Amino acid sequence: MKRSAASGAVLGRGPSPRRALPPRGEAGVADRLGDPGLRLLALLASVASMVLIAALVYKVFDQAGESISHFGLGFVTANVWNPVTRSFGAASFIYGTAVSSLIALLIAGPMSIAIALFLTELAPVRVRRPVATLVELLAAIPSVVLGLWGIIVMAPFLNNTLEPALRSILGWIPLFAGSASPFGLLPAILILTIMTVPIVAAVTREVFQTVPTELKESALALGSTRWEMVRMVILPYAKSGIVGASILGLGRALGEAIAVTQVIGDETGIHVSLFAPADTLASRVASTYQGATSTLEISSLAYLAAILLVFALIANAIARLIVRRSTLRMRAAGPRPGLAVTVAEAQV
Amino acid sequence: MSAAGAAPTPPPAHALLAGGPGLRRRKLVNRTMESTATLAALIAVAVLAIVIVSVLIKGVSAINLDFFIKSPAPIGQSGGGIANSIVGTALLVALASALAVPVGILVGIHTSEFARPSVASSIRFALDILNGVPTIVTGIFVFGLLVVGHVQSGYAGAFALAIIMLPIVARSAHEVLSLVPASLREGSLALGVRRWRTVLRIVVPTAASGMVTGALLAVARVAGETAPLLFTSSIASNLVSTDPSQAFASIPVSIFTLSEEASPAAHAQAWAAALLLIFLVVLLNIVARSVFGRSQARIRRTR
Amino acid sequence: MIKNKTAALAGCAALAFGLAACGSSSSSPSTGSLDTLVGAGSTLVAPLVSEWQPEYDKKTKVAVTYGAIGSGGGIAQITARTVDFGASDAPLSEDQFKEAKGVVQIPWALAATVIAYHLEGAPNQLKLTGPVLVEIYKGKITTWNAPQIAALNPGVTLPATKITPIHRSDGSGDTFAFTNYLSHISPEWSSQIGHATEVNFPVGIGAKGNSGVGGAISSTNGAIGYIAIAYVLQNKFDYALIKNAAGNYPVPGIPSISAAAKTLTSVPANNEVSIVDPPASAPQAYPISTFTYALVPEKAPKASTLKPFLKWAIHEGQTFGPKLDFAPLPEQVVKADEATIEKIGS
Repeated sequence: MKRSAASGAVLGRGPSPRRALPPRGEAGVADRLGDPGLRLLALLASVASMVLIAALVYKVFDQAGESISHFGLGFVTANVWNPVTRSFGAASFIYGTAVSSLIALLIAGPMSIAIALFLTELAPVRVRRPVATLVELLAAIPSVVLGLWGIIVMAPFLNNTLEPALRSILGWIPLFAGSASPFGLLPAILILTIMTVPIVAAVTREVFQTVPTELKESALALGSTRWEMVRMVILPYAKSGIVGASILGLGRALGEAIAVTQVIGDETGIHVSLFAPADTLASRVASTYQGATSTLEISSLAYLAAILLVFALIANAIARLIVRRSTLRMRAAGPRPGLAVTVAEAQV
Repeated sequence: MSAAGAAPTPPPAHALLAGGPGLRRRKLVNRTMESTATLAALIAVAVLAIVIVSVLIKGVSAINLDFFIKSPAPIGQSGGGIANSIVGTALLVALASALAVPVGILVGIHTSEFARPSVASSIRFALDILNGVPTIVTGIFVFGLLVVGHVQSGYAGAFALAIIMLPIVARSAHEVLSLVPASLREGSLALGVRRWRTVLRIVVPTAASGMVTGALLAVARVAGETAPLLFTSSIASNLVSTDPSQAFASIPVSIFTLSEEASPAAHAQAWAAALLLIFLVVLLNIVARSVFGRSQARIRRTR
Repeated sequence: MIKNKTAALAGCAALAFGLAACGSSSSSPSTGSLDTLVGAGSTLVAPLVSEWQPEYDKKTKVAVTYGAIGSGGGIAQITARTVDFGASDAPLSEDQFKEAKGVVQIPWALAATVIAYHLEGAPNQLKLTGPVLVEIYKGKITTWNAPQIAALNPGVTLPATKITPIHRSDGSGDTFAFTNYLSHISPEWSSQIGHATEVNFPVGIGAKGNSGVGGAISSTNGAIGYIAIAYVLQNKFDYALIKNAAGNYPVPGIPSISAAAKTLTSVPANNEVSIVDPPASAPQAYPISTFTYALVPEKAPKASTLKPFLKWAIHEGQTFGPKLDFAPLPEQVVKADEATIEKIGS
């Protein structure tokens, strides 16, 4: 037991095998049935999980069936949502989802890298744990609370202060033209950024911690400044991990319904200005699904959900593949338990 | 050096070692970048502080005994509390855990103890996919499965939450179970203990604290989820109910509803509920991490 | 030690199961019992229903659960039979009747949709007309000091604030009433946008529920929105006076709502009673008054609990209306309702 102290210490020394022995004379039917029994139970659990995933994907597409057969793939490019004329299309919501998630990622990505660098390279050692915990706690804030804060605190601030300021400074860019509004793409982007940063930062930090110290030290020994060491050693080494973490964050941002629907203004239509009210796939489903009164509208909303599902699954699958590659390299790099990554990824 | 992609060419060695003309500029760039990174971290902490402090300040004024034990007042009147939501969330989470934790652990046992590596990695990949399903889509799925033709119910809401918990529990179970050293298993098997007893009485208890961490993190995650409950358990009684065949009120859905109202009284209740929810979620996270952190500390000491 | 943790976890799970299996509570009996009614729908009638809930529970020990998810939700949920009754300010259309397969509508309250606004520096009760509202909601009039608005309000200095029209993002009976009124007075609106519980508004911000509209109005200077009268009262919003067919600007309230209801000549077989844009023969009628309906299956499994509740609602329940600006139901509507309620069976 003592030989495996390192990994055993993560878990405890373990009970003595003697406790696992059946009492004398009991080694009978129950004992012999236990093996196939446990195997079967565990197998059933796995099979049930797989069936669940398949059923989920099937059911969502099934509910979208009427709309899919009615509109076909043209639904994806149609920019209309009119229950009176019964024409529906996903284009403006795909636009809203794409713009809000991508811009949020654009802000969150560099910021997360900076935070991860701070936590691995710059911060005094005693500060690292507390700040890392604080950043992770940001990920634990439920989205509905962020939405509440967005409605009551952030929206008036944007409407009265930030958006007019942006318009006066950057109004020549179409993104910042248009009149100020408390609800719109910009508050949604800001809230999505707040949600994405902790996830990307946590995974990026883990990836940075796998960079071999010898590489870093040799760069420093040759006289490079810390930033040059980061630029030459850490960033190239961690490139794929950073990309993986970012796509993970993107997947989370794509699927966020509640906080977004609270601040985005629920408008159909594609507008260039970030101040204008808009809507995303997830948010439209959340606000309208329960109140759709025609079966065509209900199935069109399910069609939106199906499109969202496809986007989120693709992003998630790509991210997992990339992150898993980094994780394997992590495990090879040293006795660092994968549970750390699990803790970080559990927030996703 | 491992294939990390082509690194940009470093400055020539003599420039690095001897100082040289570019040194001041390089130091300036370095200082700027370091400040930027520090600033980014401070901004993140500041945003967290702003949100938490907002919730604290605005929520604390509405927290009183009534808040915890009374049901909501009629629309437009002040007073009342969210007792029905507090009980509802507790029951929803308990039911969801009762469903997801055993199944998740069994899946973890399957992928780490019994399945062939190829099968195990497909199952784990599938669970990763399940983890990436947006929660609103999960809500639609469970609505179509359990609510249409019946009624909204605590069972439907708990099932939706369980679907979200499952991949988290299963993955953490797998991780910890794989960490159990082979020598433990081999020693037990060599002594003649059957496989199933080895797994249940030795491997699983050894991995128990990691699994508890995973379960707690999963609970912390779903305690704050609104989207899966919107269509499965949102039309709920104002009175405290423990009947899962009817919908349960829940804290996140209550916050969602209250956040859209105009009256300051409703907002105050929303903040108070948000404070309670954050407190719960943070507490669960801290407990989970301390369980995990204690083991981390032990590793550091053994190095 | 570690075993105890697992045991503790298992114990908690068992406790949860036990609690759930118990399924009993002092206030909410288990399903199948006739002592609960679950309804969902209109946010317009929600304040009245929330007054009814404790009263009816005290009187008959029947607990009524109500989810204010919007009239569209009321129609959708009763069609899917996931609730015992729905509530909608919008009457069911032909198609909706067909899809609902045997649902009747029972007008059980009478109120109005009011145009509320939030404009710092302007007084309450600004005068507006239907055509001006059409222009505002089409985005053609963009500031409060536009000439069309100023012309209606001589002597009032209007600030140059931008107008933000608020509309409902969920399926809403108030949207139906409002767009129905606009369609009546503007053929252009009728052909381009139409009237329904959910329409494609060209401009503005969407908000969820009457509460959401209220929230958006109160937090945005320059906002204007259509909102049920009970919410205007509760939140003390400024509201506009709308010119009716007779050329007057009645204050929205019980007298003007009742005046509009008096123009009802008869109740048709399907109980659809529309009193939007009443004719000039009712000089003090408020033009956007609306009935609101309970939607109930003709063959209701909980008929024996449902029928007394509906009867109570259209009689004693009405006494709780006036303080929320719900006008009492006209006699002929009550009679038609009673006849419909009788037909509900199980």
